[in-house]
Amino acid sequence: MITLSGLTKRFGSTVAVDDLTVDIGPGRVTGFLGPNGAGKSTTMRMILGLDRPTAGRALVGGRPYRELRHPLHEVGALLDARAVHPARSGRAHLLTMARSNGIPGRRVDEVLATVGLDARAAGKPARALSLGMGQRLGIAGALLGDPPVLMFDEPVNGLDPDGVRWVRRLARALAGEGRTVLVSSHLMSEMQLTADRLVVLGRGRLLADAPIEEVVAGAGTEVRVRVPDDADRAVLTGRLVAAGATVEPDGPDALTVTGVTAERVGDLAYERGIRLHELSAREASLEQAFMALTADSVEYAATPTGGDTR
Amino acid sequence: MTTTTASTHRPGVTPAHRTDPLAGAVAAEWTRLWSVRSTWWTVLAGVLLMAASAGQLAIYVANGNTDDDPLNDAGVVAVTDVVIDAVGLTQYAVLALGLLAITGEFTTGTIRTTLQCTPSRGRVLLAKALVTGAVTVVLGLLLGAVGVLVAAPVLGRWGTAPAAGTAGDVVAVAVYLALVGVFALGLAAVLRSAVLTLTVLFATLYIVPLSLREPDIAVLDRIADAFPGEAGRHFLTGDTGPYPAAVGLLLLAGWAAAALLAGRAALRRRDA
Ligand SMILES: Nc1ncnc2c1ncn2[C@@H]1O[C@H](COP(=O)(O)OP(=O)(O)OP(=O)(O)O)[C@@H](O)[C@H]1O
Ligand SMILES: [Mg+2]
Repeated sequence: MITLSGLTKRFGSTVAVDDLTVDIGPGRVTGFLGPNGAGKSTTMRMILGLDRPTAGRALVGGRPYRELRHPLHEVGALLDARAVHPARSGRAHLLTMARSNGIPGRRVDEVLATVGLDARAAGKPARALSLGMGQRLGIAGALLGDPPVLMFDEPVNGLDPDGVRWVRRLARALAGEGRTVLVSSHLMSEMQLTADRLVVLGRGRLLADAPIEEVVAGAGTEVRVRVPDDADRAVLTGRLVAAGATVEPDGPDALTVTGVTAERVGDLAYERGIRLHELSAREASLEQAFMALTADSVEYAATPTGGDTR
Repeated sequence: MTTTTASTHRPGVTPAHRTDPLAGAVAAEWTRLWSVRSTWWTVLAGVLLMAASAGQLAIYVANGNTDDDPLNDAGVVAVTDVVIDAVGLTQYAVLALGLLAITGEFTTGTIRTTLQCTPSRGRVLLAKALVTGAVTVVLGLLLGAVGVLVAAPVLGRWGTAPAAGTAGDVVAVAVYLALVGVFALGLAAVLRSAVLTLTVLFATLYIVPLSLREPDIAVLDRIADAFPGEAGRHFLTGDTGPYPAAVGLLLLAGWAAAALLAGRAALRRRDA
């Protein structure tokens, strides 16, 4: 259980985290979403007592991290920036961590096996590890103390598709064992597959804290309607806009309508005797929900050049 | 990759034979210290510096006694006097050991891992001080012995090495080096940069007291005597002047303790 109350962090004039109050509960994967610079990593560093909050506090299992005597047994964390000595082997790194918390050396071999690092990879100096292997080493460190709370900052960063699936399964399995799992990611689609609940940040502020379905539902449903006749389509568009809907052309004969229900679209078409070939409601994707939530708070907005945000 | 978590028991109930956190921090620090190559290089540098400067200073004494100029005759000296003079230069290798124990962590980012494992800043610094102190005491004994072994044959008949006095002086050298090593550690925890720390060390151990000596003003002399380098020198040479050797030792220990406290405050206050 992670409890944040009024958590605030300023760096000079930048407000990295702004009065964040949220509980992250056990037994589920909580996705921590937000655009670049939203304050996800800063929040995680404050939970670990690495950054001092400007105001408010972060508690793990009811206590500030800095007061924990054997923290690796309570919280496991993978941070975004690597914190491994470049010349030290991954194994030595884990052994040092284990020693500090009285964890037996065989546990190091266990977690190395869990993350799929073989003896050869674990014996290499950390600087010789690929990005993905480095991530696996970081995850191994998080699992070392078998903690009830886990935090992963961008865990799939640098992992191949196999690795991504593995992290997803690992996060789910850990939550399934009743642990608190907080995972930050940019990959909205990834969160849709991994998380049960979402905490969405934008410019340090809490934008959403809800089950994933609710966030998606909040973004509203989309209605797709196909009108074969051009004139009819123009008439229907006018009626829909008058009814407060947003209408966008979608292919040669279809419209994407948001802001009204499918039933309403059907009724409006019926009133005018407009012939329809398709009328379907589509739930918004998490990606669309995310875009809608963070639209106003994107710090480093790219100028659209045709590429999408996948 | 098909493995999931290897744990089979309920989370958070890892049974333990949980060790004392300070013991854990010390064990981790010990492993950390010896798994980085710079540690071995500093030890080697210390030994070479000691051998070179003890040898050179011994040659000065022997030459001074045998040349035509009576003014520079030192006569017969204790071998350990030469060794203690050689500490003036050799100590910088030992200081490096103390300050690298923490500046290295900041440059590589491992400080985040260290603080994640041991969140108590005081405990981290205390563990580092204990390990640095223990290692530098042993290194100091080694360096003292190296100095004696190099200086004695060079001095020949111009040097004396009474067993008890020599052993006592070598132990004093080891204690001095351990204290300045810990002083360097505390300072480095405040300053975070190796270069900056080394500069400040050079100033407090050498430059500032030296420049305060220049004018013959008693007040400045008194201030100079309070500096860690001077306190250490009075302790090592065992001279009775401005204060007894024991006071020099206490002063130096006080400086080391103050540096550690300042380092702890800095670690607590600042983001890692
Ligand atoms: N040490 C620091 N000094 C100054 N500003 C900082 C520092 N760390 C973070 N920031 C600023 O705080 C804000 C939040 O950064 P943070 O790294 O927490 O975002 P994030 O959500 O993790 O972003 P990303 O998705 O890119 O990892 C940014 O504006 C960043 O520039
Ligand atoms: Mg980040």
